[in-house]
Amino acid sequence: MAMTGTFARMRTAAWLGWQVESNWADPVIFFIYMIARPLAVSLTLAAMYAATRSTATEGAAFAGFYVANAFHAYVNTMVVGMGWAVFEEREEFETLKYVYVSPMGLVTYLAGRSFVRFVLGSISALLMLLVGWFALGVRWEWSGVQPVFLAITMVAGLGATLSAGFLLSGVAMVLTRSAMTVLEGTMLGLYLMCGVIFPVDLLPVWLRPLSYALPFTWWYECIRRFLLGRGSSAYMNTLSDAQLLGAMLAVCAAFAVLSWLVYRAMDRLARTLGRLDQTTMF
Amino acid sequence: MSRAFADDAALFLRAARARAFVRIVGSFREPNGLIADAVFPNLGMCAFVMMYRALGAPAYYEALAVIGGILTTYWVNVLWGMGAQFYWEKQAGQLQLYFAAPCSRMAILCGMAVGGLLASMLRSLVGVALAVFVFHVQLEPFSPWQLFAVFMATMAALYTLGMIMASLFLLYGREAWHTCNAFMEPAFFLSGLYFPIRTLGAFGAVAAAILPLTLGVDALRQVLLGARSPGLMSVRLEFLALCGFAVLYFFVARWSLRYLENLSKQEGRLTQRWQ
Repeated sequence: MAMTGTFARMRTAAWLGWQVESNWADPVIFFIYMIARPLAVSLTLAAMYAATRSTATEGAAFAGFYVANAFHAYVNTMVVGMGWAVFEEREEFETLKYVYVSPMGLVTYLAGRSFVRFVLGSISALLMLLVGWFALGVRWEWSGVQPVFLAITMVAGLGATLSAGFLLSGVAMVLTRSAMTVLEGTMLGLYLMCGVIFPVDLLPVWLRPLSYALPFTWWYECIRRFLLGRGSSAYMNTLSDAQLLGAMLAVCAAFAVLSWLVYRAMDRLARTLGRLDQTTMF
Repeated sequence: MSRAFADDAALFLRAARARAFVRIVGSFREPNGLIADAVFPNLGMCAFVMMYRALGAPAYYEALAVIGGILTTYWVNVLWGMGAQFYWEKQAGQLQLYFAAPCSRMAILCGMAVGGLLASMLRSLVGVALAVFVFHVQLEPFSPWQLFAVFMATMAALYTLGMIMASLFLLYGREAWHTCNAFMEPAFFLSGLYFPIRTLGAFGAVAAAILPLTLGVDALRQVLLGARSPGLMSVRLEFLALCGFAVLYFFVARWSLRYLENLSKQEGRLTQRWQ
């Protein structure tokens, strides 16, 4: 009974989130808006590859970068989007305090909002993969795909994405107008630190531990390994499939626990500092 | 008649200078904005440079991506510091002050452009430092005067385009906000910020005819990388085209500002928040 009620509230939050995300435009314009950014990134990567195809010595690695970039859409839409939801509710619409004290509660509300973001991220990722498959020749051998490992990878990766979303939401609760900067910075920082479009071995040695502590670094490497049949990182290539998957699950689990603890701590801090109804932006 | 013109011109310059002053001081008083504009565009640039490195591409491509990455600082400023500025002002309830002031709205936009450009020039030094000290970009010998002329023409075209975008916010709210948002990556692609625009073939030429950033990036690469970076057109032609863009956009912005202000007043949306 309690679960049914929670799902009903989440569904309401998802519906509200959909309205907030999309009701500024008619469906056609919204669709164009939604696909414009991921499509442009895909085409940029393709143009970079096309420009260097005749001279590049490691061109075969491109498929791995492209596929990881497609799945990075989840991080851009879900993780940063959940942080933005808190920021917008407080600073722009000035409704965060009402959501917070409502029987629904902020956690259920954010989970509902994240579902809309998940759908949008899925559409972006699928579109990028389709463009890659049909227009850019980024393909894989279906016989080489490891479906069980890949399915576990996807579930764990999406779980880590949700966890990171709650972590950023907590941070956005405490920060004032600077939350906007932090959210944008996180999006770009993760793009660099997780080795989405290059192997993390190319990062400076002192940055690599941070990269390995992030679940998305492992997630993208697992997707490359279990979908395309080859990873990109020389270090991670020394691990067997089971070891790589195990390492990813361990990092994702640790990250999920840490994210939840940080979210709870930030929630308390935001109440202590009186940040839930403090508008500093407009 | 000439006295009135002189008074108007003096008021225009004073208003523009005042707005530029606020923009410069304000941007340095807000450390978050400073970090956002100076550091974040360069994170994306670093990722693209790393991708070239991972693909085993010649070092020239890294230099090309670095130059494009430095220019993203300006494009981000044009979109969010210039284009979306009236949205921030509207949300803060300050837009009406601009309309109550006795000066021209174009003076305010010109001041915003000059102030934003000066602030962004200092911020782009982070990208230059990365280019020199981290990526060790090798440049060809170049004329600083030519570089200055091409750079200023590019900026004039970009910031006058920003003035047109700013005028949209007089009428629109979230629609224009999302339009700015949607212009980020597509503009990176259409302007060939991270790859040679010639890769796009005829499509690249079309992009250059729409977006001044494309011509600006191409011209600056030709100046800094020399024969290694064959452009769409000669630097001289691209410079002239950029100057043409700047003049055209200035007058379009002036017309757009007047038209949308009137329309917005008629529809009662000039000071409407949360639209």
